Amino acid sequence: MITLRNVSKTYKRGEKGEVEALKDVSLEVGKGEFVFIVGPSGSGKSTMMKLLTREERPDAGELFVAGKNLSTLKPWKVPLLRRQIGYVFQDFKLLPNKTVAENVAFALEVIGKSRHVMQKRVPEVLELVGLEEKSDALPHELSGGQQQRVSIARAFVNAPRILLCDEPTGNLDPQTSVGIMKLLDRINRTGATVVMATHDQHIVDSMRRRVVELEHGVVVRDQSRGVYGYAG
Amino acid sequence: MPARWRYILAEALVGLRRNLLMTLAVILSVAVSLTLLGASLLLRDQVQLATGQFEDQIQVSIFLCDGRLCPEITPEQRANLQGELEGDPLVELVIFESKQEAYENFKEAFKNDPELVATVTPDTLPASFRVKLINPEEYSIIKARFEAWPGVESIVDQGEVLEEIFSIINVFQQGAIIVAVIQLIAASVLIANTIRVAAFARREQTSIMKLVGASNWYIRLPFVLEGVIAGTIGAAVSWVLLLVAIPRVTSRLTDEIPFTPFIGLEEVIFIAPWLFGAGILIAATSSIVSLRRFLDV
Repeated sequence: MITLRNVSKTYKRGEKGEVEALKDVSLEVGKGEFVFIVGPSGSGKSTMMKLLTREERPDAGELFVAGKNLSTLKPWKVPLLRRQIGYVFQDFKLLPNKTVAENVAFALEVIGKSRHVMQKRVPEVLELVGLEEKSDALPHELSGGQQQRVSIARAFVNAPRILLCDEPTGNLDPQTSVGIMKLLDRINRTGATVVMATHDQHIVDSMRRRVVELEHGVVVRDQSRGVYGYAG
Repeated sequence: MPARWRYILAEALVGLRRNLLMTLAVILSVAVSLTLLGASLLLRDQVQLATGQFEDQIQVSIFLCDGRLCPEITPEQRANLQGELEGDPLVELVIFESKQEAYENFKEAFKNDPELVATVTPDTLPASFRVKLINPEEYSIIKARFEAWPGVESIVDQGEVLEEIFSIINVFQQGAIIVAVIQLIAASVLIANTIRVAAFARREQTSIMKLVGASNWYIRLPFVLEGVIAGTIGAAVSWVLLLVAIPRVTSRLTDEIPFTPFIGLEEVIFIAPWLFGAGILIAATSSIVSLRRFLDV
């Protein structure tokens, strides 16, 4: 589902400064897998996420996502790639003036889906995340955990093959985080590939899923049923 | 398909409402610049109408006697005169305009002033030879030579009269066009800036749209439409202004300056495609240019 072959990415900072965000990274993620990308800030997690959605392009190496070669993907086809990827943010990124149902429907609306499809899919996915009662509430009326559920519903409403989660529990307390992880696990069991960048040691340790650890832009560990750190 | 367009239109209208003052500024500046542009185009129409179809052909009119001020010209005298004119080395072209033709031309030129036309019959206007000189400066030689010719009532150098008027009008017209162009540049900068502000205000929404896979045009079209709607309203305002103002001005001028044809409502109506075309083109171009870098994937 996702393949990185010897991928490197360097950001230019100012006149001479260069930051090597990823160095010669190779990684294979199969269909239906659940992968944690862990590592300290600046280790390259966010860069990897941006490469997968083609917000950034690699300087070297090959990158395949959902069967598409991102190096040769034409710009006008990028939206089609992104329709196969659901994206969950740390800060939810809900539109404050739209209700829960409207926020979820927005993801369908802007890719030109008909009203009929929205009326069918939005209640289904809100039920999946357990918020069918809150569909007319505005985001500020919800708790952080509920807002993140809405954001996951929005990411999943178009039935993407891949769900990318960038620190989805970063703004949540431990108990709420467990609920979010159960939801992501449920989505993973429907067949979606889940890639989650995180700092949250507790969650990684409790899930016992594949862990890829990055440090200074290099993969230093890839364990199939791993924990956050060797010491942990 | 309809669901798509409903979204794009709704977003454009939300943007216009949210930014009401900027929208008003855009509408006004487009309206002012297009009014000037329209006025200068109409001025050109006016000049063409007044000069008529002989614009740069006719410099001298030789009016022929019809029995009112002097004995009517005989056919032999007329043929003699024509032969003499055509043989004259100073003359490039001679056209005979009969009384009937003079009447038809008059009717056409003053079609916006039926009252004036009603006072004229096919018999009122004299027949004439309309003469183009190789060198217009030599008018006085022609005048001296043919003034006393039998059957000639009077000789008028129309070029001289018209040239003076039109050189003044030309200055006005060129001035109006220059100001209109400067105004249009200002209007397009204003539109570009307004659209940029609108896009910045909705950057959160835009970034979400990008990540859920909305196409570039789906993201841009509401903003472009926002500019185009404002531009179209501006064009409509300028058109209405001209529709109201021009007939008033020309009807007053018709009273003050007799025997000069003026443009009427019809010409103002036909200027609409220019106004709307320019308004929409400028709004769309500056919106697209201002979004190019801002919203790229």
